[in-house]
Amino acid sequence: MSPQQAASARDLVQASSRQIEGPLLEVTDLHTHFRTDRGLVRAVDGVSFSLQRGRSLGIVGESGSGKTVLSRSIMGLLPKRNTERSGSVYFEGREIIDLPMAERRRIWGREMSMIFQDPMTSLNPVMRIGKQIGEGLRLHLGMSKEDARATALHLLRDVRIPEPEKRLDQYAFELSGGMRQRVMIALAMACGPTLLFADEPTTALDVTVQAQILDLINVQRRERNMSLILVTHDLGVVAGHTDEIMVMYGGRMVEKAPTRVLFANMKMPYTEALLNSIPKIEDPSHTRLNVIPGRPPDLVNPPKGCRFAPRCSFAQDRCITEEPPLMTAEHPEHVYACWYPVGSPSHRARSAELAANAGAR
Amino acid sequence: MTDIEVITHDQAPEIPLVAASAPKQVRLRKRGQVAKWLSIAWLVFITFSALGANSLPYVPHDCPGETNAGCSTALIGDLLNKRELPPSWAFFADPERKVLADQPTHAGLLGTDSNGRDIFARSMLGARNSLLIAGLAITFGLAIGTFLGMVAGYFRGWVDTLIENLTNVLLAFPALLLAIFLVTFFNTPNTAESAEPRPLWPIILALVILSIPPLTRLVRANTIAYAQRDFVVAARSLGAKGSRILFKEILPNIVPTLLSFALTGMALLIVAEGALAFLGLSVEVPIPTWGKMIAEGSQRLRAGVWWISLMPALVMFLTLLAINLLGDVLAQRFNTREAIG
Repeated sequence: MSPQQAASARDLVQASSRQIEGPLLEVTDLHTHFRTDRGLVRAVDGVSFSLQRGRSLGIVGESGSGKTVLSRSIMGLLPKRNTERSGSVYFEGREIIDLPMAERRRIWGREMSMIFQDPMTSLNPVMRIGKQIGEGLRLHLGMSKEDARATALHLLRDVRIPEPEKRLDQYAFELSGGMRQRVMIALAMACGPTLLFADEPTTALDVTVQAQILDLINVQRRERNMSLILVTHDLGVVAGHTDEIMVMYGGRMVEKAPTRVLFANMKMPYTEALLNSIPKIEDPSHTRLNVIPGRPPDLVNPPKGCRFAPRCSFAQDRCITEEPPLMTAEHPEHVYACWYPVGSPSHRARSAELAANAGAR
Repeated sequence: MTDIEVITHDQAPEIPLVAASAPKQVRLRKRGQVAKWLSIAWLVFITFSALGANSLPYVPHDCPGETNAGCSTALIGDLLNKRELPPSWAFFADPERKVLADQPTHAGLLGTDSNGRDIFARSMLGARNSLLIAGLAITFGLAIGTFLGMVAGYFRGWVDTLIENLTNVLLAFPALLLAIFLVTFFNTPNTAESAEPRPLWPIILALVILSIPPLTRLVRANTIAYAQRDFVVAARSLGAKGSRILFKEILPNIVPTLLSFALTGMALLIVAEGALAFLGLSVEVPIPTWGKMIAEGSQRLRAGVWWISLMPALVMFLTLLAINLLGDVLAQRFNTREAIG
């Protein structure tokens, strides 16, 4: 056995041993703060979670809840200037929070990659599709030009793009939004990452295409045994597509549970409010949409107690003064941060009161 | 796959509307096209003449058998009786009529100068020097400005501050003074004994330095805009290196803006060279540039001999107009009008 073969064999053993032990990704007490003229913006303020290999996690929250910043700080994509990060991100058993740039670049694309929100702007307008996909392949896997092109064609076929041969030599502007997002997915999957981030992958797309794209991501995830972190503001999007859901509010995780458990038994009034704000198909037409009153909290001076308290219909004095810790619900994997969760006596009393008020009016 | 656009085909009602507005559109476009092709034709002609200025026999009447260069720089006695002849169409109308015995009344399309040299021929020779100087200057300016601008715009931080301040200093310095200083500093003093011709490079250097700050700023601004675009972040998230992102992702996107700006910039540099030449700071005496020809003729304007100055000015004007029009065409094509300012 040549030394090279020995080394690669050792790598293989290490890789497989790594696969067995522990979760793929473990985030502990992650803080991401931005220094601005107004003060320190606590975009992500102490988030911990772990993700098993091959599983998918949906991160849900309003704009400004820190979900995008969270995914980008796990990947390390945020600009260094004016950013403070602390906590720990364990990926495949090693700390990656303060990896030097060169090391991080080796992880990007090959171990973790990201699908961006707007396919209109996330493809280079002056580079042909085939070349754009091939770039990463040649860079990371050292493929020849011809191999990269063949693989790119294969990838385009995998993401179900019609006439893939033709697309190789086209530019992004020649494709429709849905097709561009398919190209973006192909691009992100090209080097076979183990963890795929999808940052609102369907927000910029036509409603008719959204389901197709989500299904495609899911099919590819299963086929390639990737883990997925799907960031979205739409509970409906994650409902059918992820194993677990994490709800974020004001830079914090406020509830996390396996999808089924969450929908059957949500604890956080915020989660409930989010769900109620989705229009229901059985409502008569011209039903007023349910909105969550107020605005997301100011992340420079977050409220002292529960961050959702100022907008919560069920908030009591304790919510404003004391921040609720993460508590475990009946299901061991279900955690939430609320003093008076949905279903508790005080919550029930308050909802009866609200219903009575609404009736009186 | 359903994301293919098919629906629009049999939507009939829109057709009459399109038909009504079509002719106006076409006419507008044609007018633009004529200007564009005239500009291209003029620039091709000027470039061709400039390249071939030494060998093209443009003025066969004045010095038969001799080439353009020989004719326009010679100071032979034969030319002396053709001094300050006005421009004449006879050049085209009747090639035989050009000389009346020993006292000609007409010569050349654009007339002759105080030394009896053909202004048209000299304008073409001047084109070579003016275009060469401006072209080289803008090329170097582009190379340096693009590099500095991209580095500043992409890496930001102290590099950006440094480059930003450098361009500010250069911009704050009076441009013409700087150019005059550079050219006089690097030129060998003109004494009677040393007939050594002045080198071209000091004036090119001066113009390069003048062109760097605006180009740097333009590229920096564009780089900043593109560096925040999703596709650059996407390329980064796939593991591309800084240099790769700069040259493969960002540079190709700013090239259109640069090209249209470079054309405008070249026009400005031709003018700048003209101004320096007018002050006697450009190339050596017998070699013409447009600015120098204008300067030479300016002393005779009061005597009513207008063509010595105005004819090269006209050639220069047409060239600048053509370059600017083409710059506009490029800017429109690439939608970069706002970048030119």
